[in-house]
Amino acid sequence: MKKYIWKKIFTGILTIIFSFCFTFFLIRCAPGNPIKILAGTDNPNPELIEHLTIKYGLDKPVSVQFINYLKNILKGDFGYSYISNESVTKLIKERIFPTILLTLTSSILSLVLGTFFGVYAARKVGTCMDKFMCGLSYIIDATPGFWLGMILILIFSSTFNILPTSGMYDIREDYKGAYHVLDVIKHMILPCITLCIIQIPLYFRIARSSVLHIISEDFVLTFRATGMKEDRIFNKYVLRNAIIPTITMFSLSLAFTISGVALIEIVFAWPGMGRLIMDAIKNRDYPLLTGIYLMISISICIVMIITDIVYALIDPRIRYE
Amino acid sequence: MALLEIKNLNITYKTDKKEIKAVKDFSLDVEAKDSIGIVGESGSGKSTLAMGILKLLPKETTKITGKILFNGVDLLKLSEEKLRNLRWRDISVVFQKSMNSLSPVHKIGFQMEDIYRVHEPNVSDEEVRKRILELFKFVNLSDRVYTLYPHELSGGMMQRVSIALSLIHYPKLLILDEATTALDVVTQGQILDEIMKLEEGLDLTRMMITHDISVVASSCKKVVVMYGGCLLESGYVQDVLINPKHPYTQGLLDSFPALTGEKKNLRGIPGSIPDLSLEYKSCIFANRCKKARDICFKKVPETKILPNEWNVACHLLGGF
Repeated sequence: MKKYIWKKIFTGILTIIFSFCFTFFLIRCAPGNPIKILAGTDNPNPELIEHLTIKYGLDKPVSVQFINYLKNILKGDFGYSYISNESVTKLIKERIFPTILLTLTSSILSLVLGTFFGVYAARKVGTCMDKFMCGLSYIIDATPGFWLGMILILIFSSTFNILPTSGMYDIREDYKGAYHVLDVIKHMILPCITLCIIQIPLYFRIARSSVLHIISEDFVLTFRATGMKEDRIFNKYVLRNAIIPTITMFSLSLAFTISGVALIEIVFAWPGMGRLIMDAIKNRDYPLLTGIYLMISISICIVMIITDIVYALIDPRIRYE
Repeated sequence: MALLEIKNLNITYKTDKKEIKAVKDFSLDVEAKDSIGIVGESGSGKSTLAMGILKLLPKETTKITGKILFNGVDLLKLSEEKLRNLRWRDISVVFQKSMNSLSPVHKIGFQMEDIYRVHEPNVSDEEVRKRILELFKFVNLSDRVYTLYPHELSGGMMQRVSIALSLIHYPKLLILDEATTALDVVTQGQILDEIMKLEEGLDLTRMMITHDISVVASSCKKVVVMYGGCLLESGYVQDVLINPKHPYTQGLLDSFPALTGEKKNLRGIPGSIPDLSLEYKSCIFANRCKKARDICFKKVPETKILPNEWNVACHLLGGF
C-alpha cells in the first residue's frame, strides 16, 4: 500500500510538471499578443510596444523565457499580471478559496445525491419511478448550466426574493464569525444547486448502471443461496462493489468542474477563479495564466491522489497494479 | 420417504416473444446419502433444475410448476422467510464459476464469517473462526486463506473455498453445479477425491451437475441423463453407463474416449439441441436419433421402469 501511494504521488508530480511545461508553451503558441492588447487598438505607439516587450522579456525566444520563469518560481516568484500589475500569487490566493469551496461542496453533494438516486432507481428498476428518473436525467443533462443558473436567480431571487442574486457575501453588512459563515452559505445555495443539478445525472447514471451490473454478478447469487437477507446483501456487498466506478467518475469530473465552473461563477458573480481565467485568457496575461494553470493542475493532482488512495482502500485489486 | 422428491417439475423462462421450456415434466427421487450425477449437453436444463431446486431463478421471468419436496415439504410453496431459513442449512450449492462466487472486495474469512452468522447469529468470533479453519483443513487449504481476497487465490483454491463454504452448516443436500468443470484434470481429480472423503464422515447427499460423464462415473452412485429439459434415462451408474438403454446415453458415451481397450473412433451425436420454445408431441430426441422409428415422431415416450430403479424414456425399449 505504501509503495502504491508513493507511486501515485510520483506520477502526480510528473503530471504537474508535464502539464505545466505543456501549457506554458501552448499559451505562447496561441495567436494574440498581450503587449498589443496593453497598447490598445486606437492609437498603438510602436515605442511603447517595444519598451513593454523588452520590459516583460517577450523579445527573447520562448525557451529563454521558460528558463527565466523556472528560475523565478524556484524563488517563489510567480511574476506580475501584465494587466493589473498585481502579484500573481496574491491574485490567485484571493480567488482560489471561493472556487475550491464551491466546486468541492457541489461535487461532494452531487456525488452523494446522484449515487443515492442511482441506487434507488436501480433497486426499483423497470418501474415507472425508474423510467421517470432516467428520462429526467437526460433532460437535465441537455440543460445548459448558465441558463439554469439564470432561471434559478429569476425564481428564487427576483420573484420570491428569498436568496441573494450574486456574490459570496453581503457587501453592505460586516458579519463576523458564525454570521459570516451563514451569510456565505446563503450566497452559496443557488450556485451550488445549479452545479449539483448539472452534475447529479452523471453520478445517477453511473451508480444506477453499476448497481445493476453488480447485482447480476455471481457472488450475489451465492449470498442469496446462503439465505442472507436481500437488504444485507445489498448494503454490505453490492454497494461497496458498485461504488467503485462512482469514485473514478468523481476524480475525473472534479478536474472538469474546477475548470468548467467559470460560467456559473460569472452568472452568480462568485468571486472565484472563473472570471480571472476568462480575463487572463482574453488579455493573453501570460504570467497570470501560467500561474492559474499551475494551481489548477496541482489541485487536480492532489484530488486525484486522494481518490486513488480511497479507491485502493475500497478495492484491494487496485493495490497490486 | 426420499430426501428430495421432484414431481412433474416444469420450469419455463418467459421472454417477450416466446416461452422457453427449460425443464419438462421432470420427476426424480433422491434418497438420503445418495450421490447422484446429472449429465447432459449444454442447454439440457441441468443448471436450471439446480437453480429451480434452490428457488434462485428470477421470479419475474420464470414459471415453475410441479412439486419439489424436501423432507416432505414443498419448496415451491414455502414463504420467502422459511425458504431463507432452509437455504444453506439444509441445501447448499457450489457454483461453477467459483472465481466469482465471492465478493472481490472483501476478505474470504470476513465473507465466510458473515455467511456462517446468517443462520447462527449468536456465535462468538472464536467459534466462527474455529469452524472455518476446520473446514479449510477439510479441503486442504492453509489458514492463510482466511485473510486473503478471492483474486489472490488460484481457480482450484477458490473451488476449495467454495466447497468449504458450502459445508459450513453441515447441509443435508449439496448441489455441485459444474463445480469441477473449469479445473484441470489433476485438480479436478483431487477435489473429487476430497469430496468423496468428506462424504464418509458427513450425513451428506450429493447432486452433481456436469456435462462430463467421467466425473459422474468416478464419483457418483446414480446418474440421470437429461436432454432438452427431459429426463431420458436414470439409474445406477454401473447399469446406465455400462449398458445404456437409451440411444442418447449410448451416443453420449460414444462421444468420450475410453482409457482402456481398443481404439475406437469417437462418434458423437450429429445435430444440435432442440429448440425449447416449441411444443414437442414426439420424442424430443427423435430427429437426432439414429434408431428412430415412426412412433418416435408421433408420441412422447413414457418412462419405463426397469428393475433396480432404472428408468428409461424411449419407445424402442422392449420389442423394437
